[in-house]
Amino acid sequence: MSSDIDFSPVDVLIIGAGASGATAAWNLAETKMRIVCLEQGGWTNPADYPTTGRDWESRAQSDFSINPNRRQQPGDYPVNDDDSPIKIANFNGVGGGTVLYAGHYPRFHPSDFKVKSLDGVADDWPLDYGDLEPFYAENDRITGVSGLAGDPAYPAKQSLMPPLPMGKSGQKLAEGFDQLGWHWWPSDSAIATQPYNGRDQCINLGACIYGCAQGAKASTDITYWPEAIRAGVELRTWCRVKEINIGDDGLACGVTYFDEDGVEQFQPAHVVVMACNGVGTPRILLNSVSEQFPDGLANRSGLVGKNLMLHPYASIQGVFDEPLDGYRGPHDSIWSQEFYETSEQRDFVRGFTYETTRGRGLVATALTGVHTGRIPWGSGHHEAYRKLHNRIAGMVAICEDLPEEHNTVTLDPWIKDAHGIPAPKMSYKISTNSQNMLDFAVARASETLRAAGATDLIIESPLTSGGWHLMGTARMGKDSKNSVVNEWGRSHDVKNLFIVDGSIFVTSAGVNPTRTIQTLALYITDQIKKRLAHLFD
Amino acid sequence: MSNTIATDSLFSIEQRDALRLLARMIIPSTAAYNLPGADDDLIFADILESAKANEAQIAESIDFAMSHDLGSGVSIEQVASELEGHPAMAALVSLVMQCYYRDDRIMVSLEVEPRAPFPQGFDVPQGDWSMLDAVQKRGKIWRDA
Ligand SMILES: Cc1cc2nc3c(=O)[nH]c(=O)nc-3n(C[C@H](O)[C@H](O)[C@H](O)COP(=O)(O)OP(=O)(O)OC[C@H]3O[C@@H](n4cnc5c(N)ncnc54)[C@H](O)[C@@H]3O)c2cc1C
Ligand code: SF4
Repeated sequence: MSSDIDFSPVDVLIIGAGASGATAAWNLAETKMRIVCLEQGGWTNPADYPTTGRDWESRAQSDFSINPNRRQQPGDYPVNDDDSPIKIANFNGVGGGTVLYAGHYPRFHPSDFKVKSLDGVADDWPLDYGDLEPFYAENDRITGVSGLAGDPAYPAKQSLMPPLPMGKSGQKLAEGFDQLGWHWWPSDSAIATQPYNGRDQCINLGACIYGCAQGAKASTDITYWPEAIRAGVELRTWCRVKEINIGDDGLACGVTYFDEDGVEQFQPAHVVVMACNGVGTPRILLNSVSEQFPDGLANRSGLVGKNLMLHPYASIQGVFDEPLDGYRGPHDSIWSQEFYETSEQRDFVRGFTYETTRGRGLVATALTGVHTGRIPWGSGHHEAYRKLHNRIAGMVAICEDLPEEHNTVTLDPWIKDAHGIPAPKMSYKISTNSQNMLDFAVARASETLRAAGATDLIIESPLTSGGWHLMGTARMGKDSKNSVVNEWGRSHDVKNLFIVDGSIFVTSAGVNPTRTIQTLALYITDQIKKRLAHLFD
Repeated sequence: MSNTIATDSLFSIEQRDALRLLARMIIPSTAAYNLPGADDDLIFADILESAKANEAQIAESIDFAMSHDLGSGVSIEQVASELEGHPAMAALVSLVMQCYYRDDRIMVSLEVEPRAPFPQGFDVPQGDWSMLDAVQKRGKIWRDA
């Protein structure tokens, strides 16, 4: 109720309670500053997650859909993705995307921060692997990461828990990789394989991307948030930020938001930290128009909303003659980074990661079969179904997307959310480099699946539903002319405005981003703590 | 008098009959596996109940099918060949699959325990981790930067 809310100025106001917002709140809490986080969605109750019911695969297509345009829950806002072959996927509520993420949890590699120097494309980051290394380790500790030390695709890093089981499908695919002499390794996962910090271990429910009812998957509503709240951070749910307001001094003075009752409120703040992801953050900045910032807040570079990177995915699945894991086990299993680093022999620069997939549920198997023409209507249905049941396994390729200014998040001129705030619009094209990478990834994966014994291949490239990695739309850099925030996350234009989410990525690497997003959030908030006395200089 | 049937459903009697016929066209019963089709009483009741969440789209699929002479004496095979794979049928096909493959009888016949995944979970074998020795022997593959 707004009458209980203290609207006096707060020291730090964080917008968004997802992966990066939670991490930032936790790290700043020890300063004893007054910290408030505004989140447009609510808390989820693990007892309500789809896997607690028989209709879990139906709910995965409705109230727990990964696509907000289909899910349409009160915390969601519409995203116009008509102009993108890859459709939006996110979650809006405490925990943000981590409520639904698969928990694939790779780090970036040292080369990922030096793309320009090594490969002559895009830009180098203004920091490197060494700068982030201690923060990776700290984030791993809070998150609880399972895996196996010794991966030859990475510099040495510790593993806190044993890896997830390979299962029958992981082993089958590993045999395929081995036959071709390729790299593979158990995936690093934000999934507890042993009881960890009050969380229980994974029981192989197999539907991690619809919420983990067991609490084994490290979504930030059960990792960072409980600790941050215990340390004094105030988290206000069902509060949707409309704009960040600016004072005559050119500093952010607070934010305007709609509260749970739909009433417009103003919360004054000395520092504003944005954590709304690569679509939500540029949306708010572009909606925050003033005389000083006619093109959107912190947008003197003109780069807010530009350079959207999505990681085009290819899905390459094999059909095997023998039963594999099917619906059992988490999505994460093993990965291969055989084609991660640039090679002059290929018609693209940079590279990708293969992450193997175990199988699918009964309904998803049926729909895959019907949509790809493998399961007919009528009398042939049952036999055809049995040829796919528990027999599909394969991999996805996560391709590094390079920043391109024509890939954008802008404001849709017509579509608005439930509060009348203009919705974002994604305009995105797959580049020739990415397309060549996708084609190569499909061809090589097909070889390994055949080597592993697959008798049929089911290919989707690009994976249209896979717009889950939202990066690059408020990039980081030392030069205010070609970046939005500086090397420690502060806006070049507004000296008390910080961004900690995936929008600050300079390049995307060929791995899932969240471990690096959270690590950067720790790094940036650490910089804030160190510079408190002269934060706005 | 309205021809809307006396349940919460908005479907007309004709639409409901057509839906049942479609369910049977998509998944008929099978003697080989001793299984009911999707038009089975229990499964069809689930289909009708579940259709409520997406009623408009399902009604569109049914109407589209009805416009192809469904139920007017044209052979089922002929109608099916025209409808199968058509985008207008996608929502209805999805609904039929969702309800059919959560029915106890179907799950048991596929050797799947008829229960929600949580809280029991499932067993997944570890696999042979010694296979990694060969990978490790091939040595470091990351680039210094
Ligand atoms: C299905 C799925 C699977 C995924 N799998 C993986 C994976 O395996 N590994 C991986 O690394 N990543 C994965 N991701 C991506 C991962 O979820 C994101 O990278 C991560 O959550 C991004 O963190 P963030 O802090 O940038 O934003 P988010 O976690 O998206 O948090 C943003 C928060 O801001 C809130 N917000 C936005 N606008 C406003 C506003 N105007 N007012 C108030 N609040 C607002 C949102 O409600 C949301 O809670 C997956 C995502 C999805 C959807
Ligand atoms: S497989 Fe493991 S991590 Fe995934 S939802 Fe189940 S218990 Fe959670």
